[in-house]
Amino acid sequence: MAQVSGRQVFAERTAVLLITIVMLLPVVWLITTAYKPSNQIFSIPPRLDFQPTLDQFRNIFGYFDVVSLLRSSVAISAGTTVLSLLLGVPCGYALARSRSRYATGFAYFFLAIRMVPAIASLIPFYLMMRDIGLLGSWWAVVIINTMLNCAFVTWMMFSYFRALPRDMEEAALTDGCTQLGAFFKVAVPAARSGIIACVLFCVMFSWNDFLYPMFLTTLDSKPLSVALLTAYGTKDITWGSLGALAHFSTIPIVLMALFLNRYFVQGATNGVQ
Amino acid sequence: MSQTSSTGVQPRTQTPRLGWLSRPRSFTDSRRFFLFFMAAPAVLYVLIVGVWPLAQGFWYSFFRYNLIRPARTKFIGLDNYIAIFEDRGARQAILNTFQFTLTSVSLQLFFGFCLAMLLWRDSRFNRIALAFLLIPATITPLVVGLIYKALLGADYGLIGYYLANAGIGPRTGLLTDSGTALWVLILIDCWEWTPLMALILLAGLKSLPADVLEAGRADGATAWQRFTLIVLPLMLPSIFLALVLRTMDAFRVFDSVFVTTGGGPNDATNTLMVLAVKEGLQFFNIGYASAIGNITILFIACMAAVLLLVVRRADVRINGK
Repeated sequence: MAQVSGRQVFAERTAVLLITIVMLLPVVWLITTAYKPSNQIFSIPPRLDFQPTLDQFRNIFGYFDVVSLLRSSVAISAGTTVLSLLLGVPCGYALARSRSRYATGFAYFFLAIRMVPAIASLIPFYLMMRDIGLLGSWWAVVIINTMLNCAFVTWMMFSYFRALPRDMEEAALTDGCTQLGAFFKVAVPAARSGIIACVLFCVMFSWNDFLYPMFLTTLDSKPLSVALLTAYGTKDITWGSLGALAHFSTIPIVLMALFLNRYFVQGATNGVQ
Repeated sequence: MSQTSSTGVQPRTQTPRLGWLSRPRSFTDSRRFFLFFMAAPAVLYVLIVGVWPLAQGFWYSFFRYNLIRPARTKFIGLDNYIAIFEDRGARQAILNTFQFTLTSVSLQLFFGFCLAMLLWRDSRFNRIALAFLLIPATITPLVVGLIYKALLGADYGLIGYYLANAGIGPRTGLLTDSGTALWVLILIDCWEWTPLMALILLAGLKSLPADVLEAGRADGATAWQRFTLIVLPLMLPSIFLALVLRTMDAFRVFDSVFVTTGGGPNDATNTLMVLAVKEGLQFFNIGYASAIGNITILFIACMAAVLLLVVRRADVRINGK
């Protein structure tokens, strides 16, 4: 886009800035709620000014076993991410490099699996986990999350590897490199940024999800997201405490997405095409 | 497929190796073997953990099957499906889901396109703005629901209180009134996902051929003509992609509805997913819930097919091929 006036750029930027601020207001409100004293959260009329306090953070350690919640969230996200990548990256690579006419069909099969509503497979899966005794453990959540996420990773890496030239790997193979060697030493490093994007999305999906853990975990194994839902509705717990607890569930992911924004953009655009 | 070259008849083989692979193999043969084993684990995993439960769900949907009364399990054919269309609440849920999906995806497409046009110029400012704009999409959907529930409450909510006092909207709050609740959920969905829509469209805008845009400018086309005659037709694949993705996601909406209204008041915001979760995992009505899940899949598949068809048509009409 050539030759634009400074005035137009200024107008555009003002518009973008305004939109960004308006969009972020609810988030800012959530964060500030956590620093309000309880009596000011329930003031009539509601007010914006308040005396900042850390009481809410002290409260939530009394109401919740925050360490255990965090441990569950981390275990579920980490387990899901590692398993999804171990399964999905090789599969995406194989489908991208295969000359079989079924390869693209399989890639679309993985895409379709991602589009299936969670509930359709959750109910039979719930019964399956009950029968093999995994219901209530992190494993149940990890297993079903891995299914969805490895479908995502496969599709994403399929489109990523397909865009990478095969010459390098073929050269490595003719030079006497083993098949696995060519994959790990040539293909994987070349696809590094795609893999980072996959990690980002897997962590985000499994950290944010609450439908699966809500029905598949118990009191001891529930993650942060489920605690947030059950906490809401109990009468001792104010919006302030929820805001404080939401710090733990939202801020790690938001920071990750901000700092790895390049990969986030890649994942959201490249991964779906 | 070049199966014939891998039979070992041709001399183009590697030096024979010892062990179980000692039969001379062509390059492509061992490659194919390797790729097969790279793909197999993920395919098997998805078949066992993903497709098998779906097949079971399909099977269950023909039974009267309640976990609380397992002894009364009985094959009832299509009765579960008929029951969905005979039940007023379920019909309402289907209508709600469609209304939610169509309205919120159209709004997101419109605003997302505007936002993408604003962010088109590649500058540091725009990149940073986009990073911040994407925050709603990365926040736990559950927390999004909680935020709006708190903000819109008529008693203590920052927005709800003043709206109720100014006499705008229902006195009990926007989320607890059956006339407005669904619209509020649509707006929440727009808040959450419009930036992501803009991001997908922006990637499309940035990949448009610069010389075509420049040619339009040089030929003296007005900004509006350039938009409708050049940008829009070229953007069709991106628009289609964004539409398919968001439509499928919106149709499966669960988190924000479940948290803010739980399907109420009076089923006014009940969606297919919320209904299925309630029936299946709270009332343990496995057969009926499975039928709802299958209907949802069917609807999603139909919508994807329709979108594909519409875009093909539009592509033929505009690009003439």
